[in-house]
Amino acid sequence: MSTNGPITVRIARAHRPAAATSFTLTLQPGATVLDALEQIRVTRDETLLYRHSCHHGSCGTCGMMINGEPRLACTTRVDDLEIDLKPLPTMTPIGDLAVDPTPLFDGFPVPAAYIRESETNRDGQRPEQADRWERFEDCIECGLCVAACPVTQRFVGPAVLAGYNREIENHPERENELLPQVDTDHGVWACDRALRCSAVCPTGVYPARHIAILQRKIKKG
Amino acid sequence: MKLGHVLVIGGGGTGAALLHDLVLRGFSATLIERGELTSGTTGRHHGQLHSGARYATGDREIARECMDEVRILQKIAPEAIEMNYGLFVALNDEDREFAPEFLSACGEAGIPVRKISPPQALRMESALNPTILAAVQVPDGTLDAWRLPLHFFATARRNGGVILTFTEAIGIHVKNGRITGARVRDYRAMKDYDIDADYIVNAAGAWSGSVAGLAGVHVPVTPAPGTMVAVKGRLTNMVISRLHPPGDGDIIVPQRRLSIIGSTQWQTQSPDGVVPRPEDIAFLTNKAAEMVPAFAQAPFHAAWSAARPLAGVYAGGGTGGQDEQDGQDGRTLSRDFIAIDHGAEGGPAGMVTVIGGKATVLRAMAEKTVNIVCSGFGVEVACETATRPLDPYRSFYGGEVLP
Repeated sequence: MSTNGPITVRIARAHRPAAATSFTLTLQPGATVLDALEQIRVTRDETLLYRHSCHHGSCGTCGMMINGEPRLACTTRVDDLEIDLKPLPTMTPIGDLAVDPTPLFDGFPVPAAYIRESETNRDGQRPEQADRWERFEDCIECGLCVAACPVTQRFVGPAVLAGYNREIENHPERENELLPQVDTDHGVWACDRALRCSAVCPTGVYPARHIAILQRKIKKG
Repeated sequence: MKLGHVLVIGGGGTGAALLHDLVLRGFSATLIERGELTSGTTGRHHGQLHSGARYATGDREIARECMDEVRILQKIAPEAIEMNYGLFVALNDEDREFAPEFLSACGEAGIPVRKISPPQALRMESALNPTILAAVQVPDGTLDAWRLPLHFFATARRNGGVILTFTEAIGIHVKNGRITGARVRDYRAMKDYDIDADYIVNAAGAWSGSVAGLAGVHVPVTPAPGTMVAVKGRLTNMVISRLHPPGDGDIIVPQRRLSIIGSTQWQTQSPDGVVPRPEDIAFLTNKAAEMVPAFAQAPFHAAWSAARPLAGVYAGGGTGGQDEQDGQDGRTLSRDFIAIDHGAEGGPAGMVTVIGGKATVLRAMAEKTVNIVCSGFGVEVACETATRPLDPYRSFYGGEVLP
């Protein structure tokens, strides 16, 4: 559902005058928060900073705090008459809503960048296990789970731990190498099972489940 | 000793491949992008890795180039490519009668294709319309429109390329008929400054007309937005296309656990802030459901638009094989790309504009464009981008860098 009347968008802009932080707009039905930001930048204030690329929840660049919740701007429809936008607090600020996501990538296992080897349909059969394969990996590295996590002590965070479990599932031969890396106070044992990560994940990765699986694997080992 | 400093304007897929190629060939290079990388058109790409089959009946050479690049990208950027193949399906007699022409065109373009019987196609893809009359499998695939360019950006930066985001060209400096640099606006620091350059490559895509205008030259580019609609659920494993000449709403690309139908096409003056036309969403959903009926029931995920940078001013005589009935819809423009050496056309020396093209052939576009840059500097340096594997995309954020 969407509103046809004017809405107000308030944006936390650290170094801008108050007049440049609140915009009243009329959007077309079904418009997203990203559509609103694009309209503001194109028609009101070309200096507005935010990250975006795919516009359909695939690239993971447009995460921000939307009315207090970490969400993707591109797949969040404008349902309210007032929207408050802030940058993700767990990343390095660049300006306005734009952040540098480098902190998110610090702890990923090495190497774990590559998705599993490309499979083909060359023989004309639907490959076995096709339903289980995680294509391009489901995690889009948006960092919403990290922003939602209430743990305050040092913690590598849910995205990295989900990445570890995925790497172990894809490459079981690496289990003995990778498990000890997360069997630490700031690894899987820092999780207090608030499950906020799984609640906000826009692609259904359920990081908390991956953390629990890692914990079980460690206990079993 | 660097060959000279080249400024690339535009941080889409083309700019990414250009920066990578330039630094490998020995130039010092800087890329500016007025927003986040790939925030213009590239990132909103349908996500199809084109075998070239779609273009084969119209232009064998474009099709052949696509196939070559599919093979290359699988080797140099496997992280961003899913080689899930594609199926062209015939839904009526007209589609079926197109099949022989389609098969022979693909054969002539060197694209390996296979006829699949309808029962076998349905075994491979159970969500297909059960009334399909014919099917052809082609080596299409899915690409990640954000992470493929990031591979190039990561590698280029490790090799010394400089990338400045949220930085827009607001002026181009010309002295004695030669490019000397650009005036840029840094939106982070809110300040304007000059970047000296021996050469400028305008890779601003749908925005290349206004960038060229900064240098007082005109380029024939038509911003042609299209809409795409994504539903939740990976309904098919392969890319599903309609077996007929290219038209609207005839490709479903599976991306992760989404299915995406595209696209439409219209003409616009400004590529900024394009949003889907409301009628496009129902049109595309219906077209998708003709090939994959479950598409109509699947939960809506997103609808978005992006402005393609079509090379040329539309006149109904394109070379891209777009035989659409309607000569006004921009599909009659070529999907090929053109590189304009402005010095050779009476404009300032030391500037080339590259427009058009397709995401699948981004590397080839860069190779041809950097060849022009090299001749501008009077040097000959071999291009190595077809054989050098790219760094992992995550290394763009300072993570691992493989040796």
